Amino acid sequence: MSNAQDLILYEKKAIPSKIPLIGLALLAIGGGLAGYGFSTDSIRASYSLIIVFMTLFSVGFGALFLVALEYIVNADWSVPFRRITEILAGVLFIVPLVAIPLLINLDEIFTWLNPELVNADKYVKGKTPYLNESFFMIRNIAIFVIMIIFYFLLAGRSFKQDVTKNPKSRKTSAKLSAIFMPLFAISITVVAMDWLMSLEPKWFSTIFGVYYFAGSVLATLSVLTFVVISLKDNGYLSKYINEDHYYNLGGLMFAFTNFWAYIAFSQFLLIWYANIPDETLWYVDRGDGGWFIMSIALIFIRFGIPYLALVTRPSKSNPFRLKIISVWVFLAHIFDLYWVIMPEYTKRTGAEGPVFGLTELSVPLLIVGVLMLVIGLMSKNKNLMTVGDPKFKSSLEFHL
Amino acid sequence: MENNKILHSMSAIFTSPDDIMKAAKEIVKAGYTKFDIHTPYPVHGMDGAMKLKRSPLGYFAFALGAVGAMLALLLMWSTMVESYPNNIGGKPLFPLPAFIPVTFEVTVLLASVATVVSMIVIFFRFPNNSHPLHDTPYMKKVSSDKYGAVIESDDPNFDFDNVKEFFTGLGAETVEPIYFDNDELNVKHNIFEPKFITGLTIIAITVSALTYFTLNKLIFMEPFNWMMTQQKLSAQSPSNFFKDGFSMREPVSGTVAKNNMPYLYSDSVDLAEQVMVNPLDVDDKNLNVGKVKYNTYCSPCHDYNGNGQARLNGQFPNPPSLHTDKVRNWKDGRIFHIITVGQNTMPAYAQQLSDEERWQIITYIRALQRAMNATEEDMK
Amino acid sequence: MSIELTHEPSVIEGRPALKTIDASIIKPMNNLPDKRFWAAMGLTLTMLGIGALALGMSFYRGLGLWGVNNPVGWGFAIINFVFWVGIGHAGTLISAILFLFRQKWRTGIARFAEGMTIFAVMTAGIFPLIHVGRPWLAGYLFPYPNQHSLWVNFTSPLLWDVFAVSTYFTVSFVFWYIGLIPDFATMRDRLANSTMVEKVKKTVYSVLSLGWRFSNRHWSHYEMMYLVLAGFATPLVLSVHTIVSFDFAVSIMPGWHTTIFPPYFVAGAVFSGFAMVQNALIIIRKVYDLEYIITLDTLEKMNKIIILTGLMVGYAYGMEFFIAWYSGHEVESFAFVNRAFGPYAWAYWIMVSCNVIAPQFFWIKKLRTNIPFMFIIAVLVNVGMWFERFVITVTSLSRDYLPSSWAYYVPTIYDIGILIGSFGWFFTLLLIFTRTMPVVSIAEVKAVVDGSQPTHHGLEHHSEEGH
Repeated sequence: MSNAQDLILYEKKAIPSKIPLIGLALLAIGGGLAGYGFSTDSIRASYSLIIVFMTLFSVGFGALFLVALEYIVNADWSVPFRRITEILAGVLFIVPLVAIPLLINLDEIFTWLNPELVNADKYVKGKTPYLNESFFMIRNIAIFVIMIIFYFLLAGRSFKQDVTKNPKSRKTSAKLSAIFMPLFAISITVVAMDWLMSLEPKWFSTIFGVYYFAGSVLATLSVLTFVVISLKDNGYLSKYINEDHYYNLGGLMFAFTNFWAYIAFSQFLLIWYANIPDETLWYVDRGDGGWFIMSIALIFIRFGIPYLALVTRPSKSNPFRLKIISVWVFLAHIFDLYWVIMPEYTKRTGAEGPVFGLTELSVPLLIVGVLMLVIGLMSKNKNLMTVGDPKFKSSLEFHL
Repeated sequence: MENNKILHSMSAIFTSPDDIMKAAKEIVKAGYTKFDIHTPYPVHGMDGAMKLKRSPLGYFAFALGAVGAMLALLLMWSTMVESYPNNIGGKPLFPLPAFIPVTFEVTVLLASVATVVSMIVIFFRFPNNSHPLHDTPYMKKVSSDKYGAVIESDDPNFDFDNVKEFFTGLGAETVEPIYFDNDELNVKHNIFEPKFITGLTIIAITVSALTYFTLNKLIFMEPFNWMMTQQKLSAQSPSNFFKDGFSMREPVSGTVAKNNMPYLYSDSVDLAEQVMVNPLDVDDKNLNVGKVKYNTYCSPCHDYNGNGQARLNGQFPNPPSLHTDKVRNWKDGRIFHIITVGQNTMPAYAQQLSDEERWQIITYIRALQRAMNATEEDMK
Repeated sequence: MSIELTHEPSVIEGRPALKTIDASIIKPMNNLPDKRFWAAMGLTLTMLGIGALALGMSFYRGLGLWGVNNPVGWGFAIINFVFWVGIGHAGTLISAILFLFRQKWRTGIARFAEGMTIFAVMTAGIFPLIHVGRPWLAGYLFPYPNQHSLWVNFTSPLLWDVFAVSTYFTVSFVFWYIGLIPDFATMRDRLANSTMVEKVKKTVYSVLSLGWRFSNRHWSHYEMMYLVLAGFATPLVLSVHTIVSFDFAVSIMPGWHTTIFPPYFVAGAVFSGFAMVQNALIIIRKVYDLEYIITLDTLEKMNKIIILTGLMVGYAYGMEFFIAWYSGHEVESFAFVNRAFGPYAWAYWIMVSCNVIAPQFFWIKKLRTNIPFMFIIAVLVNVGMWFERFVITVTSLSRDYLPSSWAYYVPTIYDIGILIGSFGWFFTLLLIFTRTMPVVSIAEVKAVVDGSQPTHHGLEHHSEEGH
């Protein structure tokens, strides 16, 4: 080959151990706050924990999705980051652990587990073949198992490829990714419906799975962007990653921001327009009192501001701006889930409106803590870039 | 320099993208500012090589899009809130979610179309088919498979020979001067040009003919004539459908109109007197209605008390008094018959009075007759 | 520089000279058409004639000639409208969205697809126009200033359609025209001024090209404009079919009022559009010898998009069905059971087999690279998607809330005639297009031929070049 062999594309450097340690610290603080929350108002803490659970699921799911997507479309530009995405997918292992404290109040949160409430409403009663404890457990465990299998099939193969440098691996991964996608679509829909939509068992929306999907991709992209830029700025990734690579990340974030807004608006417009009480109840809960302001805020926080921040070309490629925007977008995702989940708490307990207290503060702390821990642990002894991938070099040469 | 021709620029043809890139960079380095590069397709990195500024069209699009959004919202507000507010499905007068789709479309429409028009008119100054470079061998090559550079003669550093050498030094395949086309430069457009006038005349005639035809002929032809002629039958019109040529049909034989029983004794008053009997009771209601109806319909000729000296006296023949023995001895049925079909100059009142009303009048007449011939006992 | 295994097949096969590209693309415009063309035109003009006849009768005698009645007040007109608008979306997706994703393989097919979009939208636009019965009075539908303060209803999705489809047509047309400007200029410059025909052609091309000079100062604005247009066309195309879906979804009809309709319709539109583009391209590339530009690899990639969008449509079917049960509303559940087992079950199963089952064959590489096979599958997809619109529209209307109002809709010969006519109109326009304008974008193709761009110096000089 050419004299490019002299070039050092990547030098392996382990992520400093302070990252997982900080993560652990945040986890501890967050856990403490959550524990305090549980002791004072355990139902409120349980709802908050669902926010943590679903955000982490978003990141893990979304990461696997991005990995599979890259293989299917045979993309060049994302190869330098794929390892980071694979590491992020490791969050999926932690997610069930987060679910365990939820078991304490499961039948308070999921009213369809409560026979009294179920029998009171004929519509909820009719859903019992789907909304019952055993089927719920079975399908969620099955989804988890499938996701872990694909983690090993996709990410695991990529780790091995670092060593074997087997070029055919990409082709097999592409085929596996193609099989993964339909399973992913069904899984993310079921998870969204089970953990978010069934919080209000009377309500239903066919687009809800897509809504959660749009948000999840944004969650993953924002975390990925932040991590990649931070790592590259500190020399952990190849110095040949440039603004053209970032432009694609920024562009995807912009595109999915628009997509999220489109899905959210479609859902709202159709339910508002037909004005059927069985459907509007969900939006009525989010339009009363304090929640009305939160709903308006959501439009600006999740669409208006990221749109304006990312619309120009320089914004999409400037690393400093992208880091700030990524943080905003990720927090916006958490806020979105807060807006989906907490009104159910307000409804169940007759609380005043949106609540913001120490319990809610535990949410971002726990999430960021888990993410840092996962990044630190899953990246141990691994290359932070996919050195064995045949596209590795050409992907670094990528330019617009 | 050729006789009488003004020099526009010096042009050079290159044969590979790498060559033209290098040429562009060298031209900039040499300090020329009035130059241009021509390629059959956009070459990557040329903007940077020519040190061109980023095109501001993106900002145009954003601004025009914002204007579009505001115009759309203004239109919808002014029609649906200001001009003719309507309660549509119980939605608010300004239903923002329902207005979003139209707002979005107008935003995109204005942002796209107006920006394109700005680009063409402002930035390109198109249409312009009389630029010196048109119709030159240079343009023919550059629009197909070669890459070209021109340095214009009004560049401050321009010198005919220097530039020629410069281009040759860069490895140009051909170097040629470009002149202004005198034909195009000195064209004075005469408004009375025959082709133009002919064209205008043809358009005028065609439009007039079409307008005449449309407004005077077409809109009276089917189906453009506002459904003036319809297949349905209208009353009083002739019809080809029925043998007798009428559109209207008689009622089916043996039927009567609703609420209209026919009067069976119109030929014979004696039969009427024999058969018809006043079915009504003599009570307040019937007497009162009878009184009102009598005063309305009968009093103009018979007067309010029935003696025939009514207010039509002199204009119309007086009827005989209703209080003669003859009339008092008539049975109710006879009076009914007379009201129904008329008698002598008295017209028929069957159209104005229903059967019941006629009986009520008769009841009242009997009361009048009794009043006119009251006995001692009645006075008590 | 790249290792062999990452070598993407060239977008344009071989390494043709730029002049060859000019010649092969412009050839159909300079030669008189052959027998095959006239045969095809004969067929399409016959279909158009049938449609014109059916339409003329419908105007003269009135829309009572159509099959719509209570309770099925929406029939072929809206089904055909949605069908044709959907076909148009593939064109914009190929030109705009694939451009934003920098997929170079779009260059060979973008021009043709854009043309198809415009013709499809023109065909779709026929239906709202004719369904009023007296389209020469259609001006009354527009918000013209009047003494009665009569305005259109801006809260109605049918009005949103007017804005959406006309914006879509305008923007697509502008996008297509902008792409054509450099090509008109190229064609202008190939002509001398000798014969009368050449003089006329040259004038026409000069006018149409607006005087384009291939200056890079102009290319710079042009490229920005193209990016802006692509950036706007993308949400536009999503919004158009979304608004079309709103026609159904904002109602309370069972089977219509589901929140997933917007993305479901968009995915379905892309699905059917790509199938139609596939069908047309397979014929065009053969007849006009453009196989080196519209490569087998391009066709294969389109088939992958067909599976993808087909799966999205299948996902939507599944979600609708599940939530119809989950919601617990008997009428909604019945609507879906009725689709599968009621009087229109035949239409439903055609739809499912064509949309869900047929595209799955493309998982097998051998089948998705086999041209006759992919042609058949694309035809089936088009049939399936037409039936999807039929099933959605007719089954919900023929059996909704009140059983005493149920009835079976039967299209009349005039409905069918107009449908045939719409195909005739579309394909006639397409055929004329192939012989009067370049079906492949000359400038864009030249830009992606191997060797057409300056060579980069690799990573060593990356930081110097300051990308």
